[in-house]
Amino acid sequence: MRTQLRAHPLGDSAITIAFGAERSPELLRQIHSTARALEAAKIPHVEDIVPAYLAVTVFYDSLHASYEEMASILLERCDRSQQSASPESLVKDHRIPVRYDGVDLEWVCSSTGLSTEEIAARHSARIYTVDLLGFVPGFAYLSELDVSLQLPRRAQPRPRVARGSVAIAAAQTAVYPLDTPGGWHIIGSTATVMFDPTRDPPALLSPGDRVSFERVK
Amino acid sequence: MDGFALCATNAMVGNSLAAAALEWALGGGTVRFERDCAFAIGGASARASLSGRMVAPCTTTYASAGTELSVEQITGGRFLYLAVNGGIDVPLLLASRSTYLPGRFGGYQGRTLKNGDAVPVAERESEAPAEGFHCAADLLPRYDSGIVHATRGTQEELFDESDWLTITESEYRVSTASDRTGYRLEGPALRNSLGALPSESSCPGAIQITGDGLPIVLMSDAPTVGGYPKIAVVSEADLPILAQRRPGEGIRFALTSIEQSQRAHRRRLADLHTISQQASRSTAG
Repeated sequence: MRTQLRAHPLGDSAITIAFGAERSPELLRQIHSTARALEAAKIPHVEDIVPAYLAVTVFYDSLHASYEEMASILLERCDRSQQSASPESLVKDHRIPVRYDGVDLEWVCSSTGLSTEEIAARHSARIYTVDLLGFVPGFAYLSELDVSLQLPRRAQPRPRVARGSVAIAAAQTAVYPLDTPGGWHIIGSTATVMFDPTRDPPALLSPGDRVSFERVK
Repeated sequence: MDGFALCATNAMVGNSLAAAALEWALGGGTVRFERDCAFAIGGASARASLSGRMVAPCTTTYASAGTELSVEQITGGRFLYLAVNGGIDVPLLLASRSTYLPGRFGGYQGRTLKNGDAVPVAERESEAPAEGFHCAADLLPRYDSGIVHATRGTQEELFDESDWLTITESEYRVSTASDRTGYRLEGPALRNSLGALPSESSCPGAIQITGDGLPIVLMSDAPTVGGYPKIAVVSEADLPILAQRRPGEGIRFALTSIEQSQRAHRRRLADLHTISQQASRSTAG
């Protein structure tokens, strides 16, 4: 599928390459594939590559490269990558052990009419895809949550959600990598380290990776 | 928050521009130097003294072991930088010595400094300039102008004529809801207050228009992706000017092209190198 790519500056040191106007799993796969191809290309002056739902943003050293130069190179690379499939070997699979003991489980039970057992079973039955990273380091938005578990996020976020909390909101699920405020419903916990600044790479999950949850007692 | 002042104060003590220094946000305090060293303060203006003698900003000052730098009050701006010859010696993490407060890692134990903290300073690599070396005012950003240049944002086509007029012709005031994550601005609301869009990468300086039509400018500790439409992005050359605006102070946005914005960014770096060169010509030894 080839789409018309458009480049736009995002301030002085980044360029956003837009792939389309409407979200779709297909568009996201293409964006992830292109982001991986850009990483592999090791283009000079590129400092970071951030895929999102409709676009890829590339951060670069603008003291040594101009917007015009970088936009031209990036558009050409992205266009080329659309024509060939990127190596799937770069996508990783993860199994995250979860204890379904979250503080919001009871509320989720009463809101969905499901028992704890059913919630645990449906949450751990799927293989999720990492849509994107954002919010805080290592926070990965995972799609797509079983329709029967989909609930709007909390009206009031909690001031503190503990690191390792497994949570759901709308059509996504996630694991909080740090102690932070949070507005998602906490259904469980994991000891898996999602983000470690001393590790390389520091974040466990990357966009496009596949994740499944494994229930543990 | 004011990256220019951080680099400039480093240059004034003979450090590389990227050495670690202290960022001091509003309020007074005292720092004791445990060994002889050269230091400089810059960014915000402050009433400061070293053992009773007034300390001028943007000026290389020598302190002997045991003397104290006392910052009585920050009189203009909001972020004061203190650079010491040698640089602050905390461990490198993710290739940086800076503090990431939301994640509580990096810098000095991932937190702001408290009374009694002993902050290590590395052995000096290079000579500091002579006492009294002063950085020329015309090399510094024009903090008092309150004019902040910006390039058009990635959702520019979602805003209409009246929005562009509003954002460029109005004075906005920094509200009290302003911190390292972002600065909320008070002033005329844009007519087109669009809802959230699919999340997209953003950056410090991005001017988001939220549901009430008012701008929030993302700053250093902002989340890296977001769903609010961005009307423009503050030029890196002018982020220091915005960062130093206190709650209640006004700014005006001026749109500029990406070419001019990048040129201004490079000019700031050239000015920092000029400060470094002048500093090394004026060494004490």
